[in-house]
Amino acid sequence: MAVMAQPMKRRRWSVMRRREAIAGYLFILPWLIGLIVFTAYPILATVYFSFTDYNIIQPPHWVGLSNYTTMFTADTDFWNGVGNSLYYALISVPLGLAFSLGLALVLNLRARGVGVYRALFYLPALAPSIVATVVFLMLLDPQNGLVNVLLRAVGLPAPGWFEDPSWSKPALIILSLWGAGTAALIFLAGLQEIPQALIEAATIDGAGAWSRFWNVTLPLLSPVVLFNLVMGVIWSFQVFDQAITVGGTTGDPLGSTLMFMVMIYNNAFRYFSMGYASALSVVLVLAILVVTAVIFRTSRLWVFYEGQQRDA
Amino acid sequence: MFQQPISRGRVFQLGGALAAAGALAAAGHTDAIASMLSDEVTVTFWTPGGSARYCQNFSNIARDFHKLHPNITIGKTTCGTGQQDFLTVLLAKIAAGNPPDATIYWDSPVTLGVRGAVMQLDPMMAVSQYSQAKYWPPSALASCQFRGKTWGLPLTGSPYAIWFNQDLFAKKGIPTSREKFPKTWDELRKLSKEFTYWKGDTLVSAGFLPMNPPELPATIFVWSALNGGTIYDADHQKYTIDSDQNVAMMQYMLDWLNEEYKGNRTAVDTSANWTGYADAKGRAPAFQAGKLAMLEQGFWFVGDVLSAGVTFKHYEVAQYPVGPGGKKTVSGFWPNWAVIPQGSQHPQEGFKWLDYLAGVGVEKWFAVTPDLPTNRNVPASLVPAVAVQQRGQAYAANLTRFFHHQLDISIPMWNSPIQGFAFDQINKAVNNIMHKVAKPKDALAAAQRASQNELQRVLHSA
Repeated sequence: MAVMAQPMKRRRWSVMRRREAIAGYLFILPWLIGLIVFTAYPILATVYFSFTDYNIIQPPHWVGLSNYTTMFTADTDFWNGVGNSLYYALISVPLGLAFSLGLALVLNLRARGVGVYRALFYLPALAPSIVATVVFLMLLDPQNGLVNVLLRAVGLPAPGWFEDPSWSKPALIILSLWGAGTAALIFLAGLQEIPQALIEAATIDGAGAWSRFWNVTLPLLSPVVLFNLVMGVIWSFQVFDQAITVGGTTGDPLGSTLMFMVMIYNNAFRYFSMGYASALSVVLVLAILVVTAVIFRTSRLWVFYEGQQRDA
Repeated sequence: MFQQPISRGRVFQLGGALAAAGALAAAGHTDAIASMLSDEVTVTFWTPGGSARYCQNFSNIARDFHKLHPNITIGKTTCGTGQQDFLTVLLAKIAAGNPPDATIYWDSPVTLGVRGAVMQLDPMMAVSQYSQAKYWPPSALASCQFRGKTWGLPLTGSPYAIWFNQDLFAKKGIPTSREKFPKTWDELRKLSKEFTYWKGDTLVSAGFLPMNPPELPATIFVWSALNGGTIYDADHQKYTIDSDQNVAMMQYMLDWLNEEYKGNRTAVDTSANWTGYADAKGRAPAFQAGKLAMLEQGFWFVGDVLSAGVTFKHYEVAQYPVGPGGKKTVSGFWPNWAVIPQGSQHPQEGFKWLDYLAGVGVEKWFAVTPDLPTNRNVPASLVPAVAVQQRGQAYAANLTRFFHHQLDISIPMWNSPIQGFAFDQINKAVNNIMHKVAKPKDALAAAQRASQNELQRVLHSA
């Protein structure tokens, strides 16, 4: 006998539930105010200022799409900054992931004193970025830096690193590996979540080390890879401290280290063009959003969650 | 009978004063309350940075000022803004309406004035004791002026010159006197070769490096004028970066690089730190190490020329030689400016402090930090103590007289509303030329286009 479905009656909240809801909103109110005042409002203000001529001191003056037109058609630094930032992101992110994953695999070994090694490998990530940059400037000094001294000692060519426009970005990318400890710790946590039973089963079935890594460990680690990939992309597009310390505000040598964030800083605080800087910021955010969206969209093909059912 | 300790009228008076004080406090005008009650004012004063000794010196000067103006106290000098960029913090404070009452500024006040960030000083200068227009060298004052208005005071204006290592000259039998120094670019170029030595691709020592950072963004104005050109025409508000004289100037420098430095600026840069100061990598300066025979630097260099690790005892300074297109020698300068930010709570008192600094306080400043005072009320006989220690009173006096003359023959500089932007464009153009990424005409034309367009945009909205 068919049962007629009764339409759901709109239930009125009891006084108790209403009180609980109000209490909940009151508890999150400080955070909500902070979100609106310190995140939402600045974002909306930035979008508004991007359509204005604004020098921080005088009121903004509406100019429509003029800032965006200038950006795409008249500002030679813009395309240089885009190129430099893309180069940096496309190489530093995969390299950083591979490096930190390798580090995590080593730190996951059950060796004596591994706790000490974990702390030591994480410590560089705690150092201020400017300090790390100055240290690398010394290490990579073309004449007297330790790296080139060692390269010359073994008969290899010694590049100009931060003095050579062909080597300055690779040097920045090498510098970015200094902070790999953070991603490595996150990978380590993910590795320790992988059920040992699966690894043992694979071993019993005759899988070698590489086969176990590729077919068991990496797929189960893929959610962590996704997280580190997204964070790495966001961070790489926002590189500033290292770039401005190495290349100054003009991206020396020859504009090769002029990153997008340095351009935003120049326009906002040195050229007094906060409107144009806001437009650059909007473009940067949209670019990061697009890249992140593409990553998430493709993640259904390569990210596997434990217990997830997939069609063959 | 009871005595009434307070009359009804007095109660009403006190109540009214308290209410007014409360209203003022609510509006943030606590200083106004203090002023209302006691006529005393505390002026907040900033500098962009400096050594502890430099900043503490302002407190010493402030004590002397306070004796003359007992109702004005200069608060403890805010020496830099910590890890935050000074200009960013200053602009934020101005925009928020709570800036310092007065501040030293290490960049062109015109860029701030044209955007309404600082106050016009002409009315206050006109009735001041030391800061009237007649007391400043014209080019120094021009660095603070735009469209006839003055936006800052050039408290010190260290001029540039060519510094050379007399001991190195003497070793090679080259005359070491200032008068015998090259008078033309061709003579300088010929002399430079005497000191330049390569070992493979490493430049071991050099004479003089043309278009050498980090002073370049400022001194390019001088080199342009030495060749009969200009970079910025303030009278007509026009950039002239790609003029024939400037293209010829850069072609000359490029020919020099090709002839003496293998045409390879990257090899030069990787070989050593060719300046007078240690760089970010901690490399010792080549001039003090005896590897660079001549370099251009400002008057302040007298405090650092014989710094720790120096390999010589005797140095001299000389005027800039003249280029093929020029007729006479000139110089340039880099001032310490002082400004009154818009929104200052005590602009009159702040200006009194700056006026005192300009005419009197700068003497104590000079005793600690060799920045050449520009104001004509300051005795020209003042000499930097460090030069007296190094070379004796007579030499120090001679050196200072020389630099005063350099200030007198300085060209107008720092007076563009888009100073920072233009500097970057010119820097980029010169780097592209010297690294052979672009030809002089094309690189300078690109800088000209960008700078003129930006200038037009700013003038339109000013």
